[in-house]
Amino acid sequence: MKAYLGVDVGSVSTKLIVVDDFLNILASIYTSTAGRPIETLQECLRTIHPDLDSDIEICGVGVTGSGREVASVIVGADIVKNEITAHAIAASHMVPEVGTIIEIGGQDSKIIILKNGIVTDFAMNTVCAAGTGSFLDHQAARLGIPIEDFGALALKCENPVRIAGRCSVFAESDMIHKQQLGHSTESIIAGLCEALVRNYLNNVGKGKDIKPTVVFQGGVAANVGIKAAFENALGCEIIVPEHFVVMGAIGVAFLARNHTKKVGNTKFKGFDASEFDYQARSFECKNCSNLCEIIQIYQNGELAARWGGRCGRWDTL
Amino acid sequence: MKITFPHMGSSPIAFRMMIEKLGHQVVMPLRPNEKTLSLGSHYSPEFACIPFKILLGTYLEAIKRGAEMIITSGGMGPCRAGYYGVLHEKILKDLGYDIDFVVLEPPQKKAVNFIKKLSKITRSNSLSVVWDALSTAWQKLKVLDLIEALSYEIRPREAVKNETTNVMEECYKLIDRAWTKEEIKESLDRCTKMLKAVKTKDSIKPLKVGIIGEIYVVLEPAANFDIQRMLGDMGVLARRSIYLADWTKDNTFFKGEEHIKKAAKPYLQELVGGHGTLSVGNTVLYAKEGYDGIIQLAPFACIPEIVSKSILGKVTSDLDIPLLTLFIDEQTGKAGVKTRLEAFVDLMQSRRNHKREALA
Amino acid sequence: MKIGIPRTLTYYAYLPLWKGFFEALGCEVVVSDKTSKGILDKGVEYAVNDACIPIKLFHGHVYNLKERVDFLFVPRLLNLTREKTVTYCPKFLGLADMVRASMPGLPPLLDFRIDLRKKRKERQREFKRMATLLGVRPAEVDRAFRRAQRKMSRTLKDLSGKGNPEEVLGILTEDTRNVLLPPQPITLAVVGYPYLLYDDFVNAGLISKLHKMGVRVLTPEMVPEKTLKRKAKSLPKDLFWTFSNQVVRGAIHYIDDGEVDGIIHVTAFGCGPDSMVGKLIELEAKQKTVPYICISLDEHTGEAGVLTRLEAFVDMLKYRRDKQ
Repeated sequence: MKAYLGVDVGSVSTKLIVVDDFLNILASIYTSTAGRPIETLQECLRTIHPDLDSDIEICGVGVTGSGREVASVIVGADIVKNEITAHAIAASHMVPEVGTIIEIGGQDSKIIILKNGIVTDFAMNTVCAAGTGSFLDHQAARLGIPIEDFGALALKCENPVRIAGRCSVFAESDMIHKQQLGHSTESIIAGLCEALVRNYLNNVGKGKDIKPTVVFQGGVAANVGIKAAFENALGCEIIVPEHFVVMGAIGVAFLARNHTKKVGNTKFKGFDASEFDYQARSFECKNCSNLCEIIQIYQNGELAARWGGRCGRWDTL
Repeated sequence: MKITFPHMGSSPIAFRMMIEKLGHQVVMPLRPNEKTLSLGSHYSPEFACIPFKILLGTYLEAIKRGAEMIITSGGMGPCRAGYYGVLHEKILKDLGYDIDFVVLEPPQKKAVNFIKKLSKITRSNSLSVVWDALSTAWQKLKVLDLIEALSYEIRPREAVKNETTNVMEECYKLIDRAWTKEEIKESLDRCTKMLKAVKTKDSIKPLKVGIIGEIYVVLEPAANFDIQRMLGDMGVLARRSIYLADWTKDNTFFKGEEHIKKAAKPYLQELVGGHGTLSVGNTVLYAKEGYDGIIQLAPFACIPEIVSKSILGKVTSDLDIPLLTLFIDEQTGKAGVKTRLEAFVDLMQSRRNHKREALA
Repeated sequence: MKIGIPRTLTYYAYLPLWKGFFEALGCEVVVSDKTSKGILDKGVEYAVNDACIPIKLFHGHVYNLKERVDFLFVPRLLNLTREKTVTYCPKFLGLADMVRASMPGLPPLLDFRIDLRKKRKERQREFKRMATLLGVRPAEVDRAFRRAQRKMSRTLKDLSGKGNPEEVLGILTEDTRNVLLPPQPITLAVVGYPYLLYDDFVNAGLISKLHKMGVRVLTPEMVPEKTLKRKAKSLPKDLFWTFSNQVVRGAIHYIDDGEVDGIIHVTAFGCGPDSMVGKLIELEAKQKTVPYICISLDEHTGEAGVLTRLEAFVDMLKYRRDKQ
């Protein structure tokens, strides 16, 4: 059976999915990138392979996410796409009437506006992490509450406390202040959810024409407290699709399917790529005062890719 | 026509009288609060300064309460506030509000335009009615300024906490009711008496702080967390360099403040718009008059005040006076401001003690 | 005599004027090095923390020049257009005072006022001050400035013929010399201040990235001056800043013209005038349904972030076109 691999290497998590010709999901993996994108990706390839039936043939591979460059070298990608386009494609496939996509991941967040399945406007966060998942992770850790329980606790609170702060550091000091004033943990958690939503709408969502149907995806969509805070702020129902964490990977798998059907072959290196020896080495280019950090990827000892320079000097291998 | 206007300190009391005397109904702008700011921020460019956001929020609230016309001031730059009227109007139109927006530009440049726009408000009133409305409003603004300034002198020495603030509430009510020239004059006398009757501990020699910076956040307590009162409650005599009546005067028919600009000259030779040059000049003057410290108040990302801040570092080290800069935006929390103020007051106090010991 | 000109801010708009002026006076012009991480780091070190990145870069470029020139050219630029109500961003007006207050060991600053609205007599006074500093006769300064002005207006005429602005202004560097491309499927207006558009360090190579994606790029400098003047009338009130007016008018021209598929506004994080400019462009683009995106730059801007946004924007336009 023909199948397609979608890979999304984010700053915080790595997602892999395999879909059939009709975008039914055959297997999926979601794991922490843990600052080691290459090893993590190889590990994922190793784990996902046994889950697949033996008659499955990978006919196309797409990669996305902030680590898409490195991922494309490891797996041999047919298509490398930015995460905005990938998320939009997946959502409009799963929820055809989608008008707005809210995507909140570990270190960045985006909004995508669509009309008749076509992206008409989008934005990504510009200021630090106050509107992203790591903000919540960090505060949950501070409060000593597992992030999984965070959303449910927020729902228990009737009147959330207002927490001010454009960035996580200031939000944290304001939160501590509110704690010291004696506010309950629930109302602080609910306040944090509201602060995240407010920061999101005032930064990423600023001036955007947010129309239903609103789809909420990315890792943070698991948090029911945030979902409720969005519903409250926007005054409409929010849909969280079943595969909300792997939407980027689904989108790029779909693009890979279309692309390889056109060109007729794939650059996929096979699941064996998980056993190759990949080494990333970097050096500082001293040719000018930019001091660019040049990164070189070696596959089994041979230079396979290179990037990182501001000028064209290192572009060709 | 139901008219509204920006909220800046206690000035709405005077503007309300003026517009009512001209036969319009007034939708009083409410004292801005967190909701006003959130509402305004939502529809403002992210890096517009906080006055832009608060004003937009105030307008939106007033429109919901029935306002049909907004009157505001313009400007000639280079500070961007002079362009806010145009952009506010465009944003409100984009949101679908069909509202009459009258931006009064300074009259020196295009006097005809100024009169034309004014006639939208004065309508068919006789010249004497218009004159009365304008002159009493001007008188009232000055009275409001005088009384407010006096309160800052008394508060740090008050014997019973909050008494000055309570008296001030009465004063505002009194001034609000005064309608004729005579009544306004009488209100000034009565308020002065009431404030002077506040029991004070005269042995206290309070620390003296000069407040400089951008006009809106300096004048609007809702934007600066009522900093002058907060300092007064901490026993600090806080004077500020800008009052609305001075400012209005300077930007319409009179030219003044030359001595402040002259004081700024060794450090900043160019007018940088807004109150940037005055901030530098006033710092020099306050330092020479023996103040204990300077507090610079400005909206986050305020262009002129960023220029003056980068120069004030050198000014204050040359003249040996401590400086606290507070850049304020919608994310500023009161707790943070209070902590900084308390620390700054401690710093000034220990400097003063140190100096006294050195003398003894 | 060596005169240092920082390679930022007005350099990117008025180089022919400055260079023409000093060369007519027989001085040698030294331009600071291309913007680099080293220059940015120095700028961040010396400039006030609340400043925008162009101001920080200015400090960095001044630092880069200070040991190797006899004078530093930091004019108080008020008006070059003769339009009555415009000037430059307040931060430009205070540049000389800012660097003086924050950086020790500077060579003498040539900080003379340039305001073409002023009467000849007042201008003469500034020329005299300049002449004393440089040790030449005031008449020579006057003559040199007029000669340079003529050179500048010739340059602007050349630009209106849709030349490559960087080539015409003489600010082209080797890295950006890949501009000649076959006809492109997508045309974008890229608007923003010249010191952001043409400094490919600070914008993370934005224009060359677009070229590589096969996009034809048009900038405000390519719009004839006459057209810009005409477009001024579509706003109820001019902005106060020369560069901002140029950006807004250029943007409105491209939006009205129908020649472009979309518009990109490049801005510096926290730029005061741009909070106005951006909103004006956004509202105008919205009204005429021209896709719009804003790219904000600061000292933490990464190549990846800019690239992701550009790719997504171009993808969006391509899909949109395919659908039609």
